[in-house]
Amino acid sequence: MSSISVTQFHQVFFEESLEGLDAMEAALLALDEGGDAELVHSIFRAAHSIKGGSATFGFPDMAALTHEAESLLDQVRDGRRAIDKSIVELMLRTVDCLRGMFDRAQSGQPLADADSENLKRQLATAVGHETPVAATRLAAKPAAGRGWIIQFRPHAGMLAGGNDPLRLLRELAALGQLVVEAQLDRVPTLDALDPCECHLAWRIELTGAAGQDAIKTVFEWVEDECDLSIEPLVAAVPPPAPAVAAVAAAPAAGAGGAAGTARGPAASSNDAGSVRVAIDKIDGLIDLVGELVITQAMLDQFREDFDPSQLAMLQHGLAQLARHTRALQESVMGVRMLPIGSVFNRFPRLVRDLSQKLGKQVKLDLVGEHTELDKTVLEKIGDPLVHLVRNAIDHGLETPEKRRAAGKQEMGTLRLEAFHRGGSIVVEISDDGAGLNREAIIAKAVQKGLIKSGEGLSDEAVGELIFQPGFSTAAVTTDLSGRGVGMDVVRRNVVDLGGNVAIKSRAGQGTSFTITLPLTLAIIDGLRAAVGGECYIVPLVSIVESVQLRADAIRSVTGGGELFRFRGEYLPIVRLHQQFGCADARQQIDQGLVIVAEADGTQIGLFVDELVGQQQAVVKSLEANYRRVDGISGATILADGSVALIVDVAGLIRLQSRRKAA
Amino acid sequence: MGGKSKQDARVSMPVDCRIAEVGAMHAQLRGALESSRIVLDGSAVDRVDTAALQLLVVFQREAKKRERQVQWAQVSAPLHDAASQLGLAEALALPARRPA
Repeated sequence: MSSISVTQFHQVFFEESLEGLDAMEAALLALDEGGDAELVHSIFRAAHSIKGGSATFGFPDMAALTHEAESLLDQVRDGRRAIDKSIVELMLRTVDCLRGMFDRAQSGQPLADADSENLKRQLATAVGHETPVAATRLAAKPAAGRGWIIQFRPHAGMLAGGNDPLRLLRELAALGQLVVEAQLDRVPTLDALDPCECHLAWRIELTGAAGQDAIKTVFEWVEDECDLSIEPLVAAVPPPAPAVAAVAAAPAAGAGGAAGTARGPAASSNDAGSVRVAIDKIDGLIDLVGELVITQAMLDQFREDFDPSQLAMLQHGLAQLARHTRALQESVMGVRMLPIGSVFNRFPRLVRDLSQKLGKQVKLDLVGEHTELDKTVLEKIGDPLVHLVRNAIDHGLETPEKRRAAGKQEMGTLRLEAFHRGGSIVVEISDDGAGLNREAIIAKAVQKGLIKSGEGLSDEAVGELIFQPGFSTAAVTTDLSGRGVGMDVVRRNVVDLGGNVAIKSRAGQGTSFTITLPLTLAIIDGLRAAVGGECYIVPLVSIVESVQLRADAIRSVTGGGELFRFRGEYLPIVRLHQQFGCADARQQIDQGLVIVAEADGTQIGLFVDELVGQQQAVVKSLEANYRRVDGISGATILADGSVALIVDVAGLIRLQSRRKAA
Repeated sequence: MGGKSKQDARVSMPVDCRIAEVGAMHAQLRGALESSRIVLDGSAVDRVDTAALQLLVVFQREAKKRERQVQWAQVSAPLHDAASQLGLAEALALPARRPA
């Protein structure tokens, strides 16, 4: 007989619990801003299922901590305690502590540490000091000191369903004093027994202050797998404490009876190794594969006997094949797409903690959480976003006093917004703070030798300075930001993802960072351009248009640069053959083409021999196979098997401006 | 099985004594009833659930009916705790707990 190992369920338990913690945290934060009873219920449910799971899967330290938290929540739910900042704070710390425990559980370390023990004591102390909502008790609740008689008869299938009465009784035991009487009247003979069916029943006397709701909660998951009755205990127990006043108004919280069995709001999973995919996406894929098979079968017919008169049909079949392949490709990429909300989720907590620490008032607006991004991009964009959000609160938004003095609302606003634009995803982080301190930045840049003076520098150019390595103007280095590492790392991370960061700032009105990211890293649409004997791919998203110039349209500037006039502006020209050292390329400007490309809000002209056509490129990392090359973001394999390099327009623009500054 | 053996039967309960194991235990206990004296060894039990305890209760009742002598060799603390929690210590005829 094979035995079932519990450890195989650990990973699922971890994932579900971490989601539960996310939901708990979100609900706590919502509660912090004045929530309703349903929020308390959802927090309770999350804590309860973590407690149950950790006990079942052999994590007693975790179960003990969540038990205390649950007791405290139960008091809130029953209306015996008013929810206040201190409880929310305590619960948030519990969430953090449990996350730490899950981390340690996953790496097989001991779960409890000094912090968790300390927190457990604090929770227990809090549980011991009830602060009633009002001087009244709930109508349905008996006074402290009495108790309940619970008649519990599991249905035969309960054990096989994974619910163990032993665990339920242990949970009950945590609510008060138990007298358990097992009822054996329906137990069959040994020969007739199916050992996986339950034939036992129990009569349980529970004495203690626990409310009926708390008992119901214990049986919440088995409601429809057992016969259950809970009656007040009418016994020779000392009369209730005299302080209990007559029942006046029924407090709202906890009066709603038994909590529902629905799970808390599920946050999307952000574990590293797997992707959860919606069923309809999978169904779409299967449909498409079906279409492909049909098309393939159709094309197969031509292989046997092809008659030139069927050419039109063959062409039709090939076109269909191309269409389906493209659709399949898009759908498969769609499987990797996850809503950015899973990254945004962490910000309410971060903003709350930071603003408290810094004595600032911040309102966080999250917009476009459902915008989908490639999973790899999503994983890597988190840290840069955290950095920008921290910066915005630390440096951007002012203290309430300063804001009042500037005639603004004391509460600052931080806005995170994600949306599609063209073939890209844009994430904007904007605040209504003081804006960049132009003087401080220029002074620092001069001191660092980055520029000679700030005269004539545009606001954009000043903004660009903060992306220089080692640049920080923070007067005080805090543990939040101001260590001088930061914006350059943010930019590098975003650029590594094939994206750009741009900054806009207006003194006294705020700062906004715009991050533009590719939808996916794996495949880009591009124009194939020939330069000498080689082929380069220019990403379609960065192309504005291509023009043929006359030789006299070019202006040479001192220092060797070339400019041409495009829609009233002079744009620099980068000759790709010079940039990348291609032999046999066309030298005369009027013999080739200039592709006008844009990145970071700046335009540039790329001089190539000719355009060959549009093409989808499966991006291969150049760094992994060769080394990093300035101005090149990757490579791809063409249909004929040769390698083409993908032009990094933003990189070329940066190279160009560095050259200009030199 | 053939005629009744006069020898003692000894049933050692596994470390993980839960629903996944009750099938095997059920067969073992039914076999053990062929003997007139049965020794139950619960010393190794680390994890136990209601299914296993219910099986033991049914076994004890059956043994009593058939006038078999059942003795506990040793009972681990987890087994003791679980039986008490479910109110089954008496039905299982568990020996009084020795102080740890």
